[in-house]
Amino acid sequence: MSVPASATLLHVVREQIGLTGSKEGCDDSECGACMMLLDGEPVNSCSYLAVQADGSAITTVEGLAPGDTLAPLQEAFLVAGGVQCGFCTPGMLISATRLLRDNPDPTTDEVRLELSGNLCRCTGYDGIVKAVMEVAARTAEKSAGD
Amino acid sequence: MTIADSQPFIRPDGKEKVTGAGRYTADLNLTGQLYAKFRYADHSHARILSIDTAPAAALPGVFAVLTWRDVPAVLYGGYVQDRRLFAKEKVRWEGDVVAAVAARTPEIAAEAAGLIEIQYEVLPAQIDFEANAAAEAPLIHEQWAEYEADESVGLAGNILGHSSVVKGDADAAMAKAAIVVKSRYVADASQGAPIEPRAISAEWHGDKVTIWSSTQVPFAARSGVAHALDIAESQVRIIVPLLGGGFGSKCDFHFEAHIAALARATQRPVKLVFSRREEFLAPDHRREGMIIELETGTDPAGRLLARRGRLVLDKGAYCGEGGFFAQMAAMHACGPYKIDTINIDSYLNYSNSQPSGSVRAPTAPQACWALEQHMDEVATAVGIDPVELRRLNIIEEGDVGPTGQIFEAIGAKETLTAALEMIGYGQELPDDEAIGVACGWWPSFGSASGAYVKLNSDGSGTIITGAMESGTGAVMGLPLLAAQTLGMKPEDFSILYQDTDAGPWDMGSSGSQTTFNNGRAVIAAATEVRSKLLDMAAEELEAHRDDLVLAEGAVRVKGSPESHVTIAHLAGTGEPILGKGSGVVPDSPEVDASTCVGRLGLESFLAPQLMTQAVRVKIDRATGVVQVLEVAAAHDSGVIVNKIGADGQVYGGVLMGIGQALTEATVFDEEGRQRNPDLLHYKLQTASDAPEIQIRWIEIDTPNAGPNGSKGVGEPPSVPTPGAVGNAVAKLVGRHVDRLPMTAERVWNTLDAARAGTP
Ligand code: FES
Ligand code: FES
Repeated sequence: MSVPASATLLHVVREQIGLTGSKEGCDDSECGACMMLLDGEPVNSCSYLAVQADGSAITTVEGLAPGDTLAPLQEAFLVAGGVQCGFCTPGMLISATRLLRDNPDPTTDEVRLELSGNLCRCTGYDGIVKAVMEVAARTAEKSAGD
Repeated sequence: MTIADSQPFIRPDGKEKVTGAGRYTADLNLTGQLYAKFRYADHSHARILSIDTAPAAALPGVFAVLTWRDVPAVLYGGYVQDRRLFAKEKVRWEGDVVAAVAARTPEIAAEAAGLIEIQYEVLPAQIDFEANAAAEAPLIHEQWAEYEADESVGLAGNILGHSSVVKGDADAAMAKAAIVVKSRYVADASQGAPIEPRAISAEWHGDKVTIWSSTQVPFAARSGVAHALDIAESQVRIIVPLLGGGFGSKCDFHFEAHIAALARATQRPVKLVFSRREEFLAPDHRREGMIIELETGTDPAGRLLARRGRLVLDKGAYCGEGGFFAQMAAMHACGPYKIDTINIDSYLNYSNSQPSGSVRAPTAPQACWALEQHMDEVATAVGIDPVELRRLNIIEEGDVGPTGQIFEAIGAKETLTAALEMIGYGQELPDDEAIGVACGWWPSFGSASGAYVKLNSDGSGTIITGAMESGTGAVMGLPLLAAQTLGMKPEDFSILYQDTDAGPWDMGSSGSQTTFNNGRAVIAAATEVRSKLLDMAAEELEAHRDDLVLAEGAVRVKGSPESHVTIAHLAGTGEPILGKGSGVVPDSPEVDASTCVGRLGLESFLAPQLMTQAVRVKIDRATGVVQVLEVAAAHDSGVIVNKIGADGQVYGGVLMGIGQALTEATVFDEEGRQRNPDLLHYKLQTASDAPEIQIRWIEIDTPNAGPNGSKGVGEPPSVPTPGAVGNAVAKLVGRHVDRLPMTAERVWNTLDAARAGTP
């Protein structure tokens, strides 16, 4: 596909591709609602030119689980009360996914620090942090059992 | 028993939110849509001499440019009708809308908005809201005397409202008091700052306009559009897609009529999406700045004999829905305490800055922050622990409130005890840590509200409600109540909501009232359905109605469980099964408040919610940086219907309170312009700032409570947090920080002054 030189990655994904899961909360890299994984690394797509992403693999919230299924983190966010208005949720899930991939057994402080680029005004982060810790604990249990 | 004890509950809108499939207003695009952009005032206070839209209209791609000439000459506002859609004679703050453009792309719309030529006579910006009350201050609204206004507000020149709380002879009691303490506190303005900036789309079908809006109050938005465009309410349909938070800031009618007018002028759908900067600058809605002067007299033991006070609140340029702020603030300057005599005056003044509007528990966090620090100062003067002072004076059942309200069962003292126990009050702490405590209160709001419950032919149910879900989970919790009434499962219900053409009128997501009022309506509607089911089952089972019970999706004959008929079977017979209800709204307690002026209905608190929060903070004395390490929140919100939802309100509300305590302030320059309209300079709390929060619900049986004995949940959590933080900081600094937010710089300056012993 062709994109305007000045278009942001967020704009192209939302308006040209039509995947609106990623949100625009600020447009200057302050809130993390637009966060995507670009070749596995998190970027605030509101502040990233689409042309720079040429040839890269991009993961948005829509791609966290196949088909109608939910990834363990998505499930855990719901159970732990990590979702209220849900506007920060897509970016938060992307951030948390990357965090657990790189650090499958984090401390609570590490989780809080790693998620501090994603603002949430509703939950006080409590349910979000609990959800991440819960998934980490389950993964650890599973690998201990293997 | 709380329902939540028995079953975990996943919010029905949860799955679409975690998969990204859910649509918020900005996610919608309509075929052929145009994009809107506003031209805002170029000055905070100026007379408009001329507006030339021709250069904008001539730009290719522009479809319409509207000003006051293009809409009905209508004024609007909640208690005082002082505002137009488009500024005409004057602009009164930097966000006043002078013109609106619709164009093929957002870029063209923005360029066109900049091409509109406006000539002004610039006037001095009157930012000092306290000084604006002076007789010689120029009027911000020259025509104020002609405005339609609620008589009780007390509009007079630059004073939009004046309320008082007067009980007994406070002057005489103060003169006799053994101990008298005086304080003055000043709170800055702050913001609701939802992560979703607002968005609106409008499209006309014949004479009817459909508006998709990120509003918390769709029915108020509908009335606003009808009034401002001089059309019937039946010509307006407001639909709210998923709402990305509001915290009060998306209450009231804001920009829906502007976009509807553009859509009508162009005969095309028109879409508006705010940038973050606009979300800060343009809404006539932020938390009010406030000056709070308090004086308290006690007997030698610390019993409160007299309270005098003077409050001045910054209303900004227009009234909006905030006309009740003076009275609300005055009640919060009394607090949940027994006080023999009171004399408090509270003023709501116009200024040339952004209008203030309801943000989560409007006026309460600032007033409570000042009062609770003042209470600690009183305790010091009396020579007792601040907690003892509160124990001695906090309201209990049978006590008389500031305006003569006699309190029914109330868990105030229990919240105090619980919060202290959770935080371990009195423990040894390192010398850079301290614990502060604050109590607060907040009323429940009774309001008309309605719901329909219908059963579908597969045995599932649908709740059709006017209630609004802003993320709090209040609407998401309604299925719990219907399920409980009908012996079904919450998952059996879908909800049709946020569409003014579907559900009955509702006050919206404001005043923490959804469960309290709409919950009652849903139970009433479900009860009608239940009655219908019992009739049908009695016939089918040849049993007497009184011998039937509803449980596990079926109607059963008591004592012979095999004799039953499923709800799905009854619903599938083709007979429509629909219930409607509103429930009976309890009245606010009767009081004789004839000694008080500016009475707008807040002189008594219906089913008051009580809370105590204790916080442990740590200070870095070298920098003034304060960190909140731990919060213990004990709240009497009645019986909790949906625990995961209620806990979520405390976690979120307390963190918002910490933000207000330490970092969040909208700073205006001398011209009335916001200096920090972005998330880099307006600092929200992050995950790593968030402390550990412990919650305890004091579930007291409250008269006049909502369904199952519930009260409100959403607003109270923010109320006592800044005060508790302030009291903890004061213990470490040696004196109280008298400006809110208590930024590192202000804490350091107070520390420095305390060390030097300067006043
Ligand atoms: S929208 Fe990209 S960081 Fe806020
Ligand atoms: S859930 Fe609303 S901003 Fe996070």
